Amino acid sequence: MRVGFIGLGVMGRPMAEHVLRAGHTLGVWARRPESAAPLVAQGATAYDTPAALAAASDAVITIITNSRDVEGVAFGPDGLAAGFAPGAVHVDMSTIAPEAARAFARRYAERGIDWVDAPVSGGEQAAQAGTLAIMAGAREDVFERVRPLFAAMGKTIVRVGEAGAGQVAKACNQMVMICALQACAEAMHLARAHGVDLAAVRTALMGGSAASRVLEVMGDRMVRRDFSAGIQARLHHKDFGILLDEAVKIGAPLPIAAQTWQQLNALMKQGWGYDDTSSLLKVLEAATGASE
Amino acid sequence: MNVGFIGLGLMGRPMALNLIRAGHALRVWARRPESMQPLLDAGAVAASSAADVAAAVDVVITMVGDAPDVERVALGPDGIAEGARPGLIHVDMSTISPEVTQSIAARLAERGVTMLDAPVSGGEPGAIQGTLTIMAGGDRDAFERVRPLFEAMGRTISYIGGNGAGQVAKACNQIVTGVGVAAVAEALNFARKSGVDAGAVREVLMGGFAASRILDVHGGRMVRREFQPGFKAWMHQKDMRIVLEEAHRLGLQLPTAAAAAQLYNAMVGCGLGEEDSVAMLKLFERMSGGQG
Repeated sequence: MRVGFIGLGVMGRPMAEHVLRAGHTLGVWARRPESAAPLVAQGATAYDTPAALAAASDAVITIITNSRDVEGVAFGPDGLAAGFAPGAVHVDMSTIAPEAARAFARRYAERGIDWVDAPVSGGEQAAQAGTLAIMAGAREDVFERVRPLFAAMGKTIVRVGEAGAGQVAKACNQMVMICALQACAEAMHLARAHGVDLAAVRTALMGGSAASRVLEVMGDRMVRRDFSAGIQARLHHKDFGILLDEAVKIGAPLPIAAQTWQQLNALMKQGWGYDDTSSLLKVLEAATGASE
Repeated sequence: MNVGFIGLGLMGRPMALNLIRAGHALRVWARRPESMQPLLDAGAVAASSAADVAAAVDVVITMVGDAPDVERVALGPDGIAEGARPGLIHVDMSTISPEVTQSIAARLAERGVTMLDAPVSGGEPGAIQGTLTIMAGGDRDAFERVRPLFEAMGRTISYIGGNGAGQVAKACNQIVTGVGVAAVAEALNFARKSGVDAGAVREVLMGGFAASRILDVHGGRMVRREFQPGFKAWMHQKDMRIVLEEAHRLGLQLPTAAAAAQLYNAMVGCGLGEEDSVAMLKLFERMSGGQG
């Protein structure tokens, strides 16, 4: 397949490499040409604009920051929409609001272009290993068309529903993960206040009903007090802004997510937005005057 | 004074009528002509657009739904800025975000219009009786010039600070009232479920440190089960959203407001959005297994 890729950051670059290694023809576009260079060195072709990339691709994958960026790349001047041939597909793997994804799908449909929202979970590590969880919203036939691309990048690949459904699943994912992270931080904070060894608590919990991926990975970072990113906390803060805003629109109470959002606000105020979200432990410590 | 008034809803209409009663010449405009009729009957003159209102007055007051409405009326096509004469004062009495207020004020200033933000508290009864609390932000001299108008509509009239300061005060007001209504509903539901007369509890609490305007007025309505608006629950939901978006932007932790906001989401979600915010009591009754 002729595949285009936009968004060659910590997540996007290894994902693009997997697509390339799976034998697809890869084209790339990057605002800063130096971001494209590692891919070009491996055989990808660089294009001058998203439109030019789209014109040379059957499918274009994007993984960028927010709805506005996706809109700019898709429908802005020299955007993808201007270059796509009818029947092409835009696979957006960014995390954006479900409503934005649905709107983009409608705008593309008017031009005979297909859309898949396919946000991912698993972080940088899974992106490198090609073991991402991919949750897709798209028409079934469109999803099946791009499934080989997903198979190159991920392990758990699920079509959740129509356009927007992938983003709904991602919102659920973020809610469960970050609320669990907050719970882990509170547990670690409690253990420490009692003067109990955090590593031992974590090990004990991992053998029982409280065991989770978050406790395993993020809990370990808390034990080692290694707060360098992982996934930058500011991105989770952004996600929670979207999540709670959607909750207003649909009239859904999310009491625990709302509390966790406030903790993330405090994390941002402390200037830890570029650190890992396990810094939520430090937010608790700051509130009670406990220090490292 | 020649005064323009835009936004003749539940709040705006009685406020405008009070201005006419105080002897001011009023020029009005509304998107739906029928909402102008009660004012025309009272002697106001109908204009054909917001620009047409602005062209013939010294002060334009707006009382509309949300930030995009204020933006459109002030700066959109046929908006206030298009019709404004030099020195016009635009007094926005809607409840919108402080951040957006500052941005609109700056853009109006470039076009020679001085903006004041002057949101109100006191609800429909306060608007009818002319006893609103008015909290103003913006240029102090402009505030003094329009003070006679505020005096026709309100009783407690306070200058808080520069542009946006009135909206900050209103956001604080919504935190206290939004959380307060929830606290009162929670307490009265607790009394009732414990088999104690909620009216008696309210009465005795009013004699002690839990006494408050909310317990008095809203608590009274809960006891009498008067759920018709008033101040609709979805409006309070909107205001809590403004508060929490500001917290997100500023990196502030507002745990209690965040919790209350989820309850307003739940009210809207379960069909109580059009009732008064005191219908929070019904929500708690449902959450704890029915009215009994």
